[in-house]
Amino acid sequence: MRPLCESDSNWETTELPVEKYRSIEEMNSAPIRAGAGNAFERFVRHCARYRKIARRRYPTGVFKFRSLEEAQAAREVESARAVSDQGRE
Amino acid sequence: MNRDELLRALRAFEVQGVEYVLIGATAMGFHGLIRATEDVDLMIRATPENVVRLRRAFQAAYPDDPNIEEIRAEDLLGDYPAVRYYPLNGEIFFDILTRLGDAASYETIEAKIYEVEGVRIRLITPRALYRIKKASARPLDRRDAAALRERFQLGDD
Repeated sequence: MRPLCESDSNWETTELPVEKYRSIEEMNSAPIRAGAGNAFERFVRHCARYRKIARRRYPTGVFKFRSLEEAQAAREVESARAVSDQGRE
Repeated sequence: MNRDELLRALRAFEVQGVEYVLIGATAMGFHGLIRATEDVDLMIRATPENVVRLRRAFQAAYPDDPNIEEIRAEDLLGDYPAVRYYPLNGEIFFDILTRLGDAASYETIEAKIYEVEGVRIRLITPRALYRIKKASARPLDRRDAAALRERFQLGDD
């Protein structure tokens, strides 16, 4: 990723200790650090790996909400349903 | 997050001149704080013309999806400032926002232009993202805020 103006991302990659999680959802909620130069590629690779092991199916279409909080609550319901559906497959 | 699909959509936004700021977990990913996500959060300028541009961009990125017509200015500029779009044939989905409570809008969010694969992206700054995450009650957002604060050595000013 190349900033076209002053960069906010001029930090160094640091080594991290081992981290343990009780579920893939919990693991995913913990952000990983990546070097600024390859952040985008690492981000999309990480998402692709996650999707491969935790594929979700969502309804298609357009849904309207009165607030972000309402949208997030709906998302959590959909995610829980998707996880449940995945467990039954 | 499907890389090609994301870039296709972002390229369509640029071509159609959509006024947007990329926020949320995808923006965090661009800034190097990575967690898997399938949604792309966009704060758009709340004008009818911009919603038309957004629809055109989605139609270019997802041709033949009739649902796109349901993304309407009267909703986004009215009682429904949050609209979620799940494309018919896509792996990612979009949360389109015109305001975040009284706290943030397209005009008030600090953002910078980045370029990825020749696509210009208007991306929220880490500081602005931190402020939004910090104001949220969700534990996930609080964790994101803590990570942003630590990574970018942000204060509470």
